[in-house]
Amino acid sequence: MDKLIEASLKAVLAREGLQPKAGDLEQFSEIIELYAGNLKQLHSVDLGSEELGPVFRPEWK
Amino acid sequence: MSVAEKPLYYLTIHEAQQLIRERKLSPVALTQAVLDRIAAVDGKLHAYINLMADSAMASARVAEAEIAKGNWRGAMHGIPFAVKDQLDVEGAPARVRQFTKGVGDATPVRKLREAGAVLMGKLHMSSMPGAELPLPRNPWNTDHITGGSSTGSGAAVSGGMCLGSLGEDTAGSIRNPSAYCGIAGLKATYGRVSRHGLAPLAWSLDHCGPMARSVEDLAHMLNALAGYDGKDPTSSEQPVVDYTTALREDVKGMVIGVPRDYIDECAPRTDPIVLRRVDEAIEQLKALGARIEVIKVPTLHLATIANAVIYYNEFWAANRNAAASVLATGAAQRRARIYLGLLTNSADYIQAQRIRSRCRAELAQVFEKVDCLALPNQNGPAPRVDEVGPIDTLFKHVVPEFHGPFNLTGLPTLSVPCGFSETNLPIALQIVGKPFDEVTVLRAGYSYQQQMKWYERRPTI
Repeated sequence: MDKLIEASLKAVLAREGLQPKAGDLEQFSEIIELYAGNLKQLHSVDLGSEELGPVFRPEWK
Repeated sequence: MSVAEKPLYYLTIHEAQQLIRERKLSPVALTQAVLDRIAAVDGKLHAYINLMADSAMASARVAEAEIAKGNWRGAMHGIPFAVKDQLDVEGAPARVRQFTKGVGDATPVRKLREAGAVLMGKLHMSSMPGAELPLPRNPWNTDHITGGSSTGSGAAVSGGMCLGSLGEDTAGSIRNPSAYCGIAGLKATYGRVSRHGLAPLAWSLDHCGPMARSVEDLAHMLNALAGYDGKDPTSSEQPVVDYTTALREDVKGMVIGVPRDYIDECAPRTDPIVLRRVDEAIEQLKALGARIEVIKVPTLHLATIANAVIYYNEFWAANRNAAASVLATGAAQRRARIYLGLLTNSADYIQAQRIRSRCRAELAQVFEKVDCLALPNQNGPAPRVDEVGPIDTLFKHVVPEFHGPFNLTGLPTLSVPCGFSETNLPIALQIVGKPFDEVTVLRAGYSYQQQMKWYERRPTI
C-alpha cells in the first residue's frame, strides 16, 4: 500500500484506540488505494462558494 | 402459463390476492405450498436463516378465518412474505445489530402484518455476522450468486419461497439482487417507506423496499408499506396515493430520458449484453409510444464516489462505539467499511454532500423535460460464486456505476427484468423517477413488463 495512505490510516486508527485486524491492511490495500485516489476526484469539481451540502433549518417541523 | 397451471408457490401476489378475495384460494393452502417449496429447494438456495413455519401457519389460519367472515383487509391479506435480516422482527432482531437492541417489529414488517400478510421468516443478507451461514445461490443457476446485500430476498422470491420480500438498498442492494434473480424490485423515494427497525448501514442513504415477481406486486406491497412514520425522523408526510393506479399499459406521450454520456462512462466496466438488452428495452418503450430523449447530468460521474464517501462515513459513525469488536470479529466488508470511513475527513464528507446537492439540482432540471429515466441496472449477469471475493462489492461502489447515484439523490428507482444473457441469466432495466412519483416509474415498468412478459419465466431448480 502507498506509504502515506498506510501511515494516515494507522494514525487515525491509533487516535481512535483501534487496531486493524491482522492481515487486513494487506488484504484491503487495493480497495483502500482506489478509494483514496477517487477521493481526489471528489474535489476536482468547482462547486463555487454558495452551494452548501448539509443545510441547517431552524424550524421545528 | 395460465394461473390455473401455475404451482401455488409461483403465483404472483396479484394473482393470489384475486383468488383469495374470491375465496378460491385458502391462505392456509398457499402458506403450506410455500413451506413445502422451501423444504424442497432451500437446501440448494440457502435463502432463509430463520424460518418461522409455526407462526406463519398460525397467521395464515387467522387470515383464512377473517376472510371467511367477509373481513378481507386488502391485497396483501393471506400473502406469504419474508424479510431481509437487516429488519427487526419481534423476537428476531437483525443479526447485523451485534451490539445494539432491536425495536420489535420494524415498521415495514408491522405494516405488512397489519395488512394481513403472512410472515414466513427472515432472509440472508451479505456481510452479516455468522460466517458459517452458506451464501444464497441464484435460482437461475446455482453456481452463480444472487447479488446483494439483499441476497436471500432475491433468491426467496425467484425460487418460489415467498410471494414478496422486503429488501434494503444503500448502494443497490434491492436493485442488484432483483436484477440478478429475474424479479422486480423498487427502491421508493427516500422517506416514502419507514426505516424504523432497519439496522442502519448509512442513515441518509438506506432505503427499505419491496421485491416481488411483477410490477403490480410491487404496487400492492407499496400500498401497504408507504406512509408517514413518526418513529423515523426522515419519514415523509407527502400524501400516499393508490399505487395500483399505475397499472396501465400505456406510455404514450411519456418522455423517457436516457443519460447516454453516463452509460458510456460506465460501459468499459459493463458487459455488452447488458447494454444491448437495455437498448432493446428502451426501443420497446419507444415502440409503445414513449418519446426518448438523450439527457445530460454533468456531475453524475461523481455521484457514485460521493455516495460511497457518505456511506462509509455514516457507517463508521453508526459503528464507532462497537468498532473494536467489528474489526476483531466482523465480516470483511464491514471491516473494510470502517477503514474507508476512517480514511475520509470532514472536508471529504462535506464535499460529498455538496455534490449530492449539485446532482439533485441537475436532475431537477432534467426532470422538467422528462417523466423518468431509463438506464442499465447492473454491470453484468450474476457472476459465478467462485469468481467473487468478500469485498468485491466495494470496488463497484467507488467507481461510476448505475446504483449509487440514486441512493445519493433519493429518487424512486425500479428494477424490471428485460431479458436474459446468452447463458440464461437475467438482466434488468432501471427506471428512475421524480421524488415521490413512484406511480410514473411503476407505470413505465408495468407497460414494458406486460408487453414482454419476462416475469412469466420461472427458473428450473
